[in-house]
Amino acid sequence: MTDAIISIRNVTKRFGSFTAVEDVTIDIQPGEIFALLGPSGCGKSTLLRMIAGFETPTEGDILIDGKDVTDVAPNRRPVNMVFQSYAVFPHMSVADNVAYGLKMDRLPGAEIKEKVAEALEQVKLTDFAHRMPDQLSGGQRQRVALARALAKRPRVLLLDEPLSALDAKLRDAMRLELVKLQESVGVSFVMVTHDQSEALAMADRVAVLKDGRLMQLADPMTLYKHPSDTFVADFIGRVNFFEVEEFKPGSAEVRVQSLGAVTLPTPVEFAAGEKLVLAVRPEYMRVRPWDGTGVAATLGDVGFQGDSSIVEVTLESGQPVQVLSGIADTPVLLGLEPGAKVGVDVDLGEGRVLRG
Amino acid sequence: MESFRKNLSVFLAFFTPSAGWLFLFFIAPLGIIFVYSFSETISLTEVELTWTFENYGRLLEPEIQTLFWRSIWLASISTAVCLVVGYPVALVIATAPAKWKPWLLLIVILPFWTNLLIRTYALLNILGTRGRVNEGLEWLWTKADGFLTLIGLGAYDLIGEEFEPIVFLGRWSGVIIGLVYVHLPFTILPIYAALERLDRSYLEASLDLGASQWRTFRSVLLPLTMAGVITAAIITFIPMLGSFLTPALLGRGQVDMIANVIERQFKGANDWPFGAAMSLFLLYVTFIILAIQAFAAMRKQKRSERRG
Repeated sequence: MTDAIISIRNVTKRFGSFTAVEDVTIDIQPGEIFALLGPSGCGKSTLLRMIAGFETPTEGDILIDGKDVTDVAPNRRPVNMVFQSYAVFPHMSVADNVAYGLKMDRLPGAEIKEKVAEALEQVKLTDFAHRMPDQLSGGQRQRVALARALAKRPRVLLLDEPLSALDAKLRDAMRLELVKLQESVGVSFVMVTHDQSEALAMADRVAVLKDGRLMQLADPMTLYKHPSDTFVADFIGRVNFFEVEEFKPGSAEVRVQSLGAVTLPTPVEFAAGEKLVLAVRPEYMRVRPWDGTGVAATLGDVGFQGDSSIVEVTLESGQPVQVLSGIADTPVLLGLEPGAKVGVDVDLGEGRVLRG
Repeated sequence: MESFRKNLSVFLAFFTPSAGWLFLFFIAPLGIIFVYSFSETISLTEVELTWTFENYGRLLEPEIQTLFWRSIWLASISTAVCLVVGYPVALVIATAPAKWKPWLLLIVILPFWTNLLIRTYALLNILGTRGRVNEGLEWLWTKADGFLTLIGLGAYDLIGEEFEPIVFLGRWSGVIIGLVYVHLPFTILPIYAALERLDRSYLEASLDLGASQWRTFRSVLLPLTMAGVITAAIITFIPMLGSFLTPALLGRGQVDMIANVIERQFKGANDWPFGAAMSLFLLYVTFIILAIQAFAAMRKQKRSERRG
C-alpha cells in the first residue's frame, strides 16, 4: 500500500456536533479514476475538500505521495481541483486562466506559453485562448477549468461533481472525454459524484459513502454484482429485496415467504438470528404469461423503454417487484391486460443474501 | 405599470402626494437656487434676476479655486483612507460565521443612531490638545521619560523636554479623521455587499493553483469586487465633498470646505447669488462623477453583450 498516491487514514471530520466524515480509510492508486459516490450529505465533498486542503481533518491523516499533508495549505499541495462551478476567473482570458497557476510556480514566460498551449490543445480550446469566460458555453468553461488544473501537472486531479452542471447530451459525451483525457495525461482522477451511472461508467474503483461512513470500496463490477449491503445494492442500480424468513448458517437453503423454499448456489455464512434479505436485480428475473410454473404474480405497468421494458408485477404475497424484460418478451407482455396472471422466473444464481 | 394605465385614479392617488412633495421641497427650491445663481444683489435685502454669469465667473477666483481644490483633495484623501480601512472590515464581516454577521453589521451602522452633531462633539473631546488621544500619548510620554531617566538618559531630552500634544483640530488631520469616521459605513456596506455576492470557489481556485493569500487578494478578490469598491468610493466621496459640520467643528474655520463657504455667503456675506452659484457648481461636479460612472458601466455592459 506504500505506492498509493493518496492515503486517507482513519479520517474523521466534524463540524460542531455534526460528523461529516467518520473514520474513513482509502488508498488511491496512481493512474486510476477513483469515484467518491453517495447521496448528498454523505461526506464525499468534504473528503475531496480535505484532499485539496480546504478542510482539515478533525482526526486522522492524509498522505500524498507518502508525505503527510494533513496540515499543509492548499496552495502547497501537489493536487489541483476542478470546481463544481468551474470557478474560471471571469476577469481573465482563457489563456490567462490557464497561465495563472503556472505563474505561481514562477516558471519562465516562454515555458508558461508552451504549457498553456499544450494544455489548451489537450482540451481542444486552442482557438479560444483569447476569449473571455463570458463568451464561452458551460462545457467550454469546464474545459478551461480542466486545462488550468492539468497545466500544473498535478499528482492527482480532483473533480467535484464534474458533470452535474452540463445538460444530458453533453454529459454523456463528456464522460467519455474525461476518461480519454485521463488515459492521455496519466494522472489519477478523484471525482465526487452522486450519480451512480456516472461512477460505474467512468471509475476504475468506487467508494460508496453514506452518512460519512465508507460502505464499500470496489471496482464497478464487484459493486454491482456483490454489493456489501442493502444500501449499496439499492444505491447502485435497481434491485428487489425479498425478506429471508428462515435459514441455517452453512446451508444453501433459505425460506423466502414470497418465493417459497429457495436453494442458493453458495451456503449462507451469516450467524443464526440475523435479519437477512435476498437481493435480486430486475435483469435476473423474467416475466411471462402464466403456465403453472414459476412464481405466480399479477401484471402491473409495462414501461416500454425502446430496448427493454421495466415491468411491475405484484407477487401473490403482495410484494411489488420490478423486472427488466428484454425486447423479445416485451410485445407479449404489452399484449396482456394489466392484472393478468403471470409467472415470474428468478435466476437465483445472481441472487445475493445481504444483511437487511 | 399596465394596470396603472387602466386605473388612472389609483395611479394618481399613489403618485400625487410623493410627486407633490418632491416638487414642493426639492424641485422648487432647486429652481429658486438656479434663478438666484444668475441674479445680482442690489441692496441688503433685495436680489434682482439679471441673467448675469458673473457669479459663475467668480468661481475662477484664485481664492475659490483653492477652496475647491482643497475640498476635493480632503475628500479624496479621506475616501482613500475609508477604502483602505473599510475593505478589511468588510472582508472580516463577509467571512465571519453567519450568526455573527448581523451583529457586526449592526456595529457598523450603530453610529447612525446617534446625532451627527453629538458624534462630532465627541470627536472634539477625543482629538483636542487636552483630549483623550493626547492624554493617552502624554501618559506614554511620561512613562518613556521616566524609563529614560531610570537608565540614566534623562538629561539628554531624547523625546523632548516636555510632552507636546499633537494638534488635530483646525488642521487637515482632524478634518480627515472626522470625515473618515462619519463616512466609513458608506464605504463598508457596498464593499461588504460585493464580497457577499462573490462565489467563494474563485478564491479557493486561486489558492488551489498555488497562489498565496496576498496574491489571491490582489489578482482575484480585489478585481472581482472592484465594482463594489467603485460604488463605495463614489457614495463616500460625494457626501464628503459637500460636508459642512465636520470641517466646521473640527477645522475650526481654518480648514474650510465648499459647504462652509457656501453657508457664509447665505449668512455673514449676504451674497445669496454667489452662494447659489457655488451650490450648483457642487451639484454639477457630483453629476459629472455619476455620469462618468454610468458611462463606464454602460460601456462594460455593451462589451459583454457584444461578446455574448
